[in-house]
Amino acid sequence: MMADRRRINGPAGTAPPSYAINTSDLEKLRPSRNRRPEELRKIFLKTGVTPPASGSAYLELQSPTYDLPVKSVLPPASALKISCAVHGPKPLPRSAPYNPQLVLSTHVKFAPFATRHRRGYIRDSTERDLGAHLENALRGIVIGKRWPKSGVDVIITILEGEEDRWWGDEVSGGTTGLGVVGGWGMMNVLAGCITVASAALVDAGIDCVDLVCGGVAAILPSPDSKDNQTQQSITVLDPSPPEHPEIQAACVVGYSASRDEITELWLKGDSGAATEQLIDSAVAAAVATRAVMVEAMSETALSKFPEADIKSAFPSADAVMSG
Amino acid sequence: MAPSATQTLLSPAELSYIHHSLSLSPPIRPDGRSPTEFRPLFAETDILPNTNGSARVCFADGSEAIAGVKAEVERSIARPGLDISADDDGEEERHGENAWVEMSIEIPGHRDDDALPVFLAAMLTEALLADSELKDRLWINRRFHWKLYIDILLLSPPSSYPLPLLSLTTHLSLLSTHLPALISDPADDPLFNDDWHSATPLYPPSSSTPPVTLLVTTIGETILLDPTPEELAVADAVLALSVAAPLPSKAKKGKGNPQARLLAIRTLDPPSRLTPLGTTAGPTEGAPPRTGMAWAPPQGGLKRELLSRVIKAVVAPGGGAEEVLAGLAGVVA
Repeated sequence: MMADRRRINGPAGTAPPSYAINTSDLEKLRPSRNRRPEELRKIFLKTGVTPPASGSAYLELQSPTYDLPVKSVLPPASALKISCAVHGPKPLPRSAPYNPQLVLSTHVKFAPFATRHRRGYIRDSTERDLGAHLENALRGIVIGKRWPKSGVDVIITILEGEEDRWWGDEVSGGTTGLGVVGGWGMMNVLAGCITVASAALVDAGIDCVDLVCGGVAAILPSPDSKDNQTQQSITVLDPSPPEHPEIQAACVVGYSASRDEITELWLKGDSGAATEQLIDSAVAAAVATRAVMVEAMSETALSKFPEADIKSAFPSADAVMSG
Repeated sequence: MAPSATQTLLSPAELSYIHHSLSLSPPIRPDGRSPTEFRPLFAETDILPNTNGSARVCFADGSEAIAGVKAEVERSIARPGLDISADDDGEEERHGENAWVEMSIEIPGHRDDDALPVFLAAMLTEALLADSELKDRLWINRRFHWKLYIDILLLSPPSSYPLPLLSLTTHLSLLSTHLPALISDPADDPLFNDDWHSATPLYPPSSSTPPVTLLVTTIGETILLDPTPEELAVADAVLALSVAAPLPSKAKKGKGNPQARLLAIRTLDPPSRLTPLGTTAGPTEGAPPRTGMAWAPPQGGLKRELLSRVIKAVVAPGGGAEEVLAGLAGVVA
């Protein structure tokens, strides 16, 4: 991987400090899921937050509160915070070859402070990988032929990432993410990126065939049986990895609800015979996210065009507000 | 940024023709294969004496790759304070870390931080680590572990999407990998037996096999395994599925053939999205024109019914995965 030559970097090989915690108390600090299996964390989504960009959006997941018997200075689990800016469509540079379609480029970057273990400024392999996934999800819905010879940049900054596992299980106080394939937390991050990028594309006024929203589901091995009995495992929507000591398989989809199509699918782990059920659960999570997206967008649209008949343009928004 | 395959130069008329013949039932592939047939390949293992395991695979189209697996001993990171001291009953939990497996791919004409090698390495590593079996086997004792370096060289220019080639090469090199036997006391600094015959295979027969990643493409209602560059250029959707052989314990229990273990799925960006439109005006809205009309790049994603059919076509007993894994098992045996 490339070294960062533009900045004066701190000493290499540092780790977050370890705190003196009784080993007997350590397990008491472990957070556990207090939502129902099919319940998502609350989502905050707002579009049009960055005025200089042609479109922007901000997404935040509710920080969960746990009733832990022991208090610690370390937060038990992180909550996702993503900001997205869309620049364009703008003409491609003269040197670029002719392209009859819109050139979509996606940049996903964790802020250096987004994780427990500090990240560098150069994009590492997991961030590049997330960018490729996101591009794949958005390509399917953008109507590219309406902007020949132009490009659009989707730039995502992750202000607070999702962790791959609970900090007490980490060997070095946080996944370094360097040269390592991302763990389970990356899947939640990708789902958030898809949702926020799609909202920002709409805010930028780029024609899309539909909204695409991200959803995550995971299969957890049943706490009673140690062996992988898929019949007894539980499927949860929107898993927060620190809450689960073990995850058997997880799946992210980028789902376009009005077309009933999956533009992006990323599944990891041994899901056995429950693969299709897992994908369907992830789609259910995406559909739930869509309700938030539609409402956030109709809110922005109402503030931009107060006279417009938003209710008839977003028929599902009404259902969300009443239900 | 797009880790797409090299662009095939086909005119809209050619694309339309290939798309039409592939969406027929049964489809007519440009090279006359059946939809689930794989291209022939040549493979050999244990070719490099300096490695713990190695393999070479050549496809019929001239693409060729070599993989070498090297295992080195690394000191594990210990956490002061939080470290739970070793249990006295001797049963320590052998938990591996994802960072213990490192893969690098070299593709001629690409820098090592280009999108394509990064994306391919991420996809192959993810499949390897999907079940914790491999990384747990790299555990030596509380203070030391094996670090596995998998280095893949693509020798030919990447004419078609190199993922299946690289994946098959990795699979064969891991199947032939042996780790030296430990002769020191388990708690001591590790010392190994120099007799290669007593080395233990990284994937013992009692475990599952390393995964292989297969490309599957859908065109209309057709599902094609092992697509060529021409077929990818008209694909509606491309999926990479990582599969491993069923666990031997399950194979004995079940009556017929059990289905292969699906470890990872990823959608890939089909190169067809970058192809030029067949008309200047273009259809006004929505669904792209299909058979009998001018070519238009596909829009949208994959239907769920089609997705489950794709999974079945690969994983089901007698499906694509079984054929490939059986063929590769014959190389090592």
